[in-house]
Amino acid sequence: MYAMCDVSDDPTTDVADAIASTKPVAVTLSADDFQAMLIDVLPSLYRYAFRLTRNRADAEDLVQDTALRAFRAIGQFEPGTNFKAWIFRILTRGFWASHRRGQRRPNTVDFDDTPDLYLYARSAENGLQWQGDDPARALIDRLGAERVAEAIGQLPEEYGVVCTLCFIEDFAYHEVAEVLEVPVGTVRSRLHRGRKMLQKALWYLAQEAGIVNDLSKRGAAT
Amino acid sequence: MTRLNRYTCEEAFRRLDDYLDHELSPEETVLVREHLEICAGCAREFNFERSVVEGVEQKLQQIDMPDTLQSRILKLLKDQR
Repeated sequence: MYAMCDVSDDPTTDVADAIASTKPVAVTLSADDFQAMLIDVLPSLYRYAFRLTRNRADAEDLVQDTALRAFRAIGQFEPGTNFKAWIFRILTRGFWASHRRGQRRPNTVDFDDTPDLYLYARSAENGLQWQGDDPARALIDRLGAERVAEAIGQLPEEYGVVCTLCFIEDFAYHEVAEVLEVPVGTVRSRLHRGRKMLQKALWYLAQEAGIVNDLSKRGAAT
Repeated sequence: MTRLNRYTCEEAFRRLDDYLDHELSPEETVLVREHLEICAGCAREFNFERSVVEGVEQKLQQIDMPDTLQSRILKLLKDQR
């Protein structure tokens, strides 16, 4: 379960320090402006929180906690900079500060040395490539939202978070770097690896659910 | 006139993720597109990968915020003022 952080874990503290060490903040966002900007990003923030916590109640707590922390740290935000990245960073830090790694679903897929184009190659081997115009979409549609989310949840956390930010929110690499406080090169390499892992996880889930068999049979029958 | 700076399959493939994520420079994007126009194998791989990414994005975005969350948060913020 998501738990509120104590003061020592304050996810806004380092953000404030980092900002303070580089630039003095001349202008402060008004409470009304903060509220308007928050409302704009709230649905995205919730989707992200839900993908991290993987349940609605914890996601709501996390978003609520993030909104309060951000509001209290309003003076640390520099108007004109990326509000969405800033508040996503606060949420991410809050999640990591309270997240118990042991709660994550144990990974059942061996991700070591997953080759490029994993899904493409497996689909071809099993005759899925030649069905319709868009075999990848057919596979993903059959898997459904729940299994796709489960596949993301199976990735090692550092890869899953990068994939989530890119896939759900369409953040640019430099924005993901800003949210996670890592270099852009790290985002690029984690995303590249994360995508390969995700394809493997999707394939295993499709096999487990009988989707591969089903689609293969249909391909053979046509 | 023949262009000498066309990407090979390997050069195009190396840029696959960046291309799909719109992270390439305009010049690199043109070079990848030019390669995909003349290489059916790479075009098939790129289209497959694009379809996986778009499918995953669409599935992951299928989550709606509960109706009451926004009003609850705004009330909390009001109390903080």
